[in-house]
Amino acid sequence: MRRFDLVLPNSLEDCLKILAERGAQAKLLAGGTDLLPQMKNGVLKPALVVDLTGIARVRQIQNGNGLRIGAAVTAREIEVSRAARGAYLAIAESAAMVGSLQVRNLATVGGNLCNAAPSADMAPPLMALEAQAVIAGPGGARRVPMADFFTGVRQTVLAPNDLLVELVVPPPGGHSGGQYLRHTPRRELDIAVVGVASQLTMADGRCTRARIALASVAPTPVRATAAERSLEGQVVTPEAIERAATLAIEAAKPIDDQRGSIEFRKHLVRVLTRRTLTTALQRANA
Amino acid sequence: MIVAKQILSCTVNGEPVEVLVQPYVTLLDALREDIGLTGPKEGCGTGDCGACTVHVDGRVVASCLMLAMQARGRKVRTIEGLAGTGALHPLQDAFVRHGVPQCGFCIPGVLMAAAALLEENPRPSEEEIRYGIAGNLCRCTGYTKMVTAISEAAGTLASQRSAR
Amino acid sequence: MSTMKTTRDVKGVGVSIPRPDGPEKVTGRVQYVADIQPKGLLHAKLLRSPHAHAKIVSIDTSAARALPGVRAVLTAKDIPHLKKKAPTRAHAVLAIDRAVFMGQPVAAVAADELAIAEEALDLIKVEYQVLPASIDPLKAMLPGAPPVADAGTEADTSEALAHSAVAIAKSEAAAKAVNISQQARLTRGDPAKGFAESDHVLEKTYRVPMVHQGYLEAHAVLAEWDRNGLLTLWASTQGSFNTRSEVADVLGIPENQIRVIPVECGGGFGGKIRALCEPITAVLAQVTKRPVRYVMTRREELQAGMPAPQVIIKLKTGVKRDGTLMALDAETVIDSGAFSGAVLAVSAVFLGSMYKWPSFDIRGFEVLTHKPSVAAYRAPVAPQTIFAIESQMEQIARDLDLDSVEFRMRHLIQEGDPMVNGQPWQSNGAKQVLARIAEHPHWKTRKQWVAAGKNGKRRGVGLALGGWLGGLQPTGATVRLNPDGSLAVLTGQVDIAGTNIALAQIAASAYGVDTDVVRITTGDTDVAPMTGLSAGSKTIYTVGAAVLQAAEDARRQTFEIAAKELEASVHDLELADGKVTVRGMPDKGITLATIGKKGNLYMSKTPPVLGRANPAFSQQAPGFAAQLARLEVDPDTGEVTLLDFVIVQDVGKAINPLGVEGQMQGGAVQSLGMALTEGLMFDDSGRLTNPSLLDYRKLTAADLPNLETIIVEVPAPAGPFGARGVGEPPIIPAPAAIANAIQNATGARLTELPMSPERIALALVNGKH
Repeated sequence: MRRFDLVLPNSLEDCLKILAERGAQAKLLAGGTDLLPQMKNGVLKPALVVDLTGIARVRQIQNGNGLRIGAAVTAREIEVSRAARGAYLAIAESAAMVGSLQVRNLATVGGNLCNAAPSADMAPPLMALEAQAVIAGPGGARRVPMADFFTGVRQTVLAPNDLLVELVVPPPGGHSGGQYLRHTPRRELDIAVVGVASQLTMADGRCTRARIALASVAPTPVRATAAERSLEGQVVTPEAIERAATLAIEAAKPIDDQRGSIEFRKHLVRVLTRRTLTTALQRANA
Repeated sequence: MIVAKQILSCTVNGEPVEVLVQPYVTLLDALREDIGLTGPKEGCGTGDCGACTVHVDGRVVASCLMLAMQARGRKVRTIEGLAGTGALHPLQDAFVRHGVPQCGFCIPGVLMAAAALLEENPRPSEEEIRYGIAGNLCRCTGYTKMVTAISEAAGTLASQRSAR
Repeated sequence: MSTMKTTRDVKGVGVSIPRPDGPEKVTGRVQYVADIQPKGLLHAKLLRSPHAHAKIVSIDTSAARALPGVRAVLTAKDIPHLKKKAPTRAHAVLAIDRAVFMGQPVAAVAADELAIAEEALDLIKVEYQVLPASIDPLKAMLPGAPPVADAGTEADTSEALAHSAVAIAKSEAAAKAVNISQQARLTRGDPAKGFAESDHVLEKTYRVPMVHQGYLEAHAVLAEWDRNGLLTLWASTQGSFNTRSEVADVLGIPENQIRVIPVECGGGFGGKIRALCEPITAVLAQVTKRPVRYVMTRREELQAGMPAPQVIIKLKTGVKRDGTLMALDAETVIDSGAFSGAVLAVSAVFLGSMYKWPSFDIRGFEVLTHKPSVAAYRAPVAPQTIFAIESQMEQIARDLDLDSVEFRMRHLIQEGDPMVNGQPWQSNGAKQVLARIAEHPHWKTRKQWVAAGKNGKRRGVGLALGGWLGGLQPTGATVRLNPDGSLAVLTGQVDIAGTNIALAQIAASAYGVDTDVVRITTGDTDVAPMTGLSAGSKTIYTVGAAVLQAAEDARRQTFEIAAKELEASVHDLELADGKVTVRGMPDKGITLATIGKKGNLYMSKTPPVLGRANPAFSQQAPGFAAQLARLEVDPDTGEVTLLDFVIVQDVGKAINPLGVEGQMQGGAVQSLGMALTEGLMFDDSGRLTNPSLLDYRKLTAADLPNLETIIVEVPAPAGPFGARGVGEPPIIPAPAAIANAIQNATGARLTELPMSPERIALALVNGKH
């Protein structure tokens, strides 16, 4: 890596002060699992790096009326969190898939989202559970729904002097279940060729809310809204699931790259949507 | 551009350490170049191979992805701290007797991953062992003897515990 | 499975003794090049071409030189005495006027810190004129393709002989296509007639991309000159003498002005034979008068290492309905990258030499492209070649409803049969390993096992067979008796495969002592006898033979001294428990320690025992392996779960079964990666699209089952205690075994590696069976 200066704020206030002054030349560091490789490859050459790991406020998980996950909570912490593994299982599942254990003990949900790769594993379940991002900036704090958080490849709504503070996930309610699945060529140390999160909420044998979010098939993680609509109000039969799985392909605009072709990615959207919906239904009814 | 060094205060292998480090070096580089512990290796620098695996506050991390200063106030353990000054740790002993190390480059990382696995899961199944070291690439051995050795060491540690 | 002996039971050959460097390795104490921290160390970085083919118009290094902490910035202009046509990659120290692959070094920096060196690279301004590039080898072969080499550059086949000792006559056909750097043609009989008389003709094209050897320690070298102009290189290398010769040749200095110290090598597999970073690091050290260390990053290794070549094989086989072989037509195209150096002969010869084809026409081409040039990778081009022929043979058996094993066994070569170049096959265990794997329960129960697949997963069982001729290279060794009765063995052999303990066991058994009292040292180029590469599966076969002969020589000298002391005939003496005694008279003896001491006493008339041997070799000892895979395929995602893998290998004599097993397992896993997940993927502009270990996928422990090993011993007539080479055979059959298992599971015959989930899933979706 090229040389840079490093500051170690102990509080949110100190951090925001630094960002207000020098945000434009700075990069925020939590787990470093995306930032450091990019700096080593020369893709990013910030003059200043701000270490967030000394700020307790962004490192907590709290479960009350909804789940609050600090932006610098690690993937491993989420993976094993009893709170997350309860009503928000798809989030814990996605966290469990990131890289390897050595990476999950560093990687943070905030980093995963702010790096905003199309393949960000934790994005689809957060979208499917309709999480909101709490962002602090010079003008104060604001909330942005996950569905609006990503604006392009590696681009988010965050301004250079903004800080993602935490994710707030509303309780999905009784009779709700979800799953995140992804396809990778290896069982570990890999990145999603396609990732799908499905969340189904049921009442009286019908689906009251369906949320399906896809990773790695568009410039940003996206919701498969046509597929969602096809399920809401319906009895969720295998045929209904198959229909939704086919409709989910419409939301996918994948590219051909060295990780997968357009044809394969579309095929996987169908397969993984079918599988996650099937499991979501089982979990909702359990 | 002149960047001032910073003081890194932490515990390494049970000993308090205070060194001056450049803020732009990784924990891996600081351990190897400033603290003199060359056991952890750089295999890729991007967290994709596990050769740099150390424990920070008891958890395995890719030390090539941490800045040295992010270890401030924390407890770091490297391969050099796995055995005491006396006998080999049961994992190390099992690795030797089963002929595990070939080129040896992955071994410090694998042992740190295996040690953490056994601390958390004293009786792992074969599958759990394989996933426990899945973040450590090895090109020489094909992993089979590693899994056997880790399984045996788990048994040894269990008997040592029950003997106490 | 082997049993491990404690040091109390230790004797010699045939015992599973753990490597003595184990404790140093498990405690992190072993030193690799990057662990050496000399005073005043400078760090080297190379600026690399971002274009596959470009003219270098100008380079401005002024800003880089001005950066504080930078001690040297070099371009080719700064090292004019090296300016010559670059016949090999190593000679192209820095690109002179043209870059011929993306990643080729164009400038070099030495600085106080790595971070400063990286910043210095940013400050070097290079003006390029991009030229059309030859990327795809099939296009590069055509007349009119953008030329890669300087006209008149000779093909470099020197390394081929060390690896495989396969000889073929150079093809005489004039190469109109400028990028064909080697050609071969082998024919026998009338293949056209053979095809005309065949009932079953199968034509397939098999493709294997470039793959990286995957050693976990990247190339690394530390260079320092002394005031006498002596260069010392601490190198991660598979052959210190080879490194010395190459560096001497490139730098234009005498070989004995260079000392190469082989530091523990963190994996080589053929990729650390040729010089790569040593010359430029040496020049930086010379210019700065400081020790300079260069360690490649992983990205540099993948982009600009020396990978295994891309191989494209067109096979056409003609067979009668009853399985009689009629004709083989084969074309093998090997993409060598920007410099020649692929082992073309192996592919051309192996295609037709595993089974007895009555007629064949085999053509081989080495093609140059604007990509990083290749080097060896464990049995170079054999896994790719066997992938082709063993897939084809299996498909023939399937199509004709013949038993896979019987079909192969019927046509398999044996000792005395001619290879396609006329060379006769030496004694080998091909039939034995095939027979042994056919006896394995996984093979015998395959039909029931496959039928028992559930949860929608499709099961398959497949096998394949492959072999390696084994390299040959002259070598030397000494065995010394110490004043305490212990032995010191000296070779120059870099121990990359655990061969040192096996060599010690050979010395122990040949001399007549316990391995416990034998210590073996790998000397550097100043100290050791001339030694060849740790490659070609030849260490035990050649260095083992040298150590055996040296130990026998030492034993002879010992007995001569004892005979004089005991006033007996050498023929009446025996050696046991550290003592030479007269047979039948246990009280009449002299200890080895006494003999050793006498050879070192002031004014003594007893010579010191120094056994020595310096053999050259002519007889190869091929090693064969048969492998079996049991796997499950998820037909929707194409994911493969490998459930069982069995390796049967003929090693002649397992000097150290523990070490042999490790070689069998490690070799197989390397080509399982080639089979399932690995490939260097270049785009049309010659840019590597997967330059990280995230996207260059080596298999993890979670992707693999336990690998079962079965050692077969068909003694090699000239091998030490009957031993054959061990390292390369196990990498050869795995891709074909996997392809055959996938075909068994899904009906899809995949002919392009890696057999990724995408390829499998889409083959099923698109009904390509």
